[in-house]
Amino acid sequence: MKSVFSLCVQMSRPSIILKFILGLLWGIIHLAISLFNLWSLLIYNIECYLISSGLLWKYRDLHLDRLKYLAIVVASKEAKNNMKIRQLLCWLSTIGVKYVCLYDIEGILKKSFEPAMNGLRDGKAGEYLDIGASVNYSHCGHKEMVIEWLSGSDGKEGIAKAANLLCSTYFSENTHGNGKREPTFTEADMASALKAVGCGGPEPDLLLMYGPARCHLGFPAWRLRYTEIMHMGPLKSMKYGAIVKALYNFSKKYQNYGKLGFQL
Amino acid sequence: MLSNFLSRTIHRTRLPDYRLQAGTDAAVAPPDALAQSGIRPESLPRHVAVVPDGNRRWAQARGLLTPDGHEVGRRALEHTMEVDYLMGMIERTIRENVDEYERRENGIRVHVIGDPSRWPESLQKTAREAEEKTRNNSKLHLMLATCYSGRWELVQACRALAHKVQGNLLRPEDIDESMLAGELQTSAAAGEFSCPDLVIRTSGEQRLSNFLLWQSAYSELYFTDTLWPDFGEAEYLQALSSFQSRERRFGQRTA
Repeated sequence: MKSVFSLCVQMSRPSIILKFILGLLWGIIHLAISLFNLWSLLIYNIECYLISSGLLWKYRDLHLDRLKYLAIVVASKEAKNNMKIRQLLCWLSTIGVKYVCLYDIEGILKKSFEPAMNGLRDGKAGEYLDIGASVNYSHCGHKEMVIEWLSGSDGKEGIAKAANLLCSTYFSENTHGNGKREPTFTEADMASALKAVGCGGPEPDLLLMYGPARCHLGFPAWRLRYTEIMHMGPLKSMKYGAIVKALYNFSKKYQNYGKLGFQL
Repeated sequence: MLSNFLSRTIHRTRLPDYRLQAGTDAAVAPPDALAQSGIRPESLPRHVAVVPDGNRRWAQARGLLTPDGHEVGRRALEHTMEVDYLMGMIERTIRENVDEYERRENGIRVHVIGDPSRWPESLQKTAREAEEKTRNNSKLHLMLATCYSGRWELVQACRALAHKVQGNLLRPEDIDESMLAGELQTSAAAGEFSCPDLVIRTSGEQRLSNFLLWQSAYSELYFTDTLWPDFGEAEYLQALSSFQSRERRFGQRTA
């Protein structure tokens, strides 16, 4: 059996000078950390400003050929800020983004914007997107943009509805058909079922998350397979330059989809 | 082809007991680094999912097995060989460590998830044996995902529900989110902890790559440029620190 003895040594009270030095040192460390954070923020803001002004050449010519479809996830608390959402859409239109999907889990965006845009619905876009609206922001730019509004009900709930449909079809075929066959659903069957229940749609190439937490807050799982995900910080402090930088970084990304491919 | 990367899901069911164990000299103590790094033990993630990416780039950067970009045929062959090697590696890892996992002080419970029809028979056997040997352990739950895909998992959950419909155990109209979630492999393996609190992906890639698509709805996503072979304790502590510094207000979580 081992015994542990602890020896308490009474330390002499440190002198006032030593206390002062330690306090000063502590203050200097805190100041250094604060200055570093301030410096990082300043650099970020300057960079965003320079991008917005078009002074950083590499960001001037964005190659958006690979960005067929952009998704934006907004925290529900921030989705109520209609002005910021309009500004965001305006900027994306100016940049030249063609298809945008806006998502918040509670469906605040869907309720706020979709009814107003129903009159502008484009037939062709509607075939491509389940909830499509072709919007021309005349005051923002000349480019037309297809917008899809999604909420939590298009996510897990949508997959459950699709499963419901698949099982119903399977059950009715087995009841009225000859003999019992094994359920051999495939990914294609699931994709078709999702489309049938109104929760289908293309896979975004890039997803930008606005809000305090770095998570996609239940964005439709089926459509997130190879989506690039970037956190943009709070919506209230969004910057045009930050969006351009995110799109530029995406354009430089390389995906090999699990294959042995190398960018040469 | 389903995702051929090896995905490791580390699932903490509860924090280890840090007190002295009766009859032992050593305490099952937390790593000193945890205490020193200012990480609060009471708010650690319960379930951490890891996509250990960057092995090839790590090897390439060191001049090891650099594939010729133009030899597409050879590249395909190497890919096949790599998958076989990964399967063998998972099998060896389980076989070599299962006795250590089984020991009470380690208390590691092992689960292998993914499409078993794509595993070699030897891996199927090893996985079954390891799961059986460690099923009563509860300190740490280790899930290894191989030949796994988030979409495949959702499809097989639908198949499982269809089987229940076929056996008149369920009506199709009763199918909801929780039922579907209950049929996922992770739910069978980890129960209430099937959804990760934190998803770590190494090597600078910022995507889920078909990994835990359903389960990661409210997971904190942590992407690091560090390649998997270089990902050590310091990087893991950094991920935990980042997790704790972020605001998390999602209320009640659904499966």
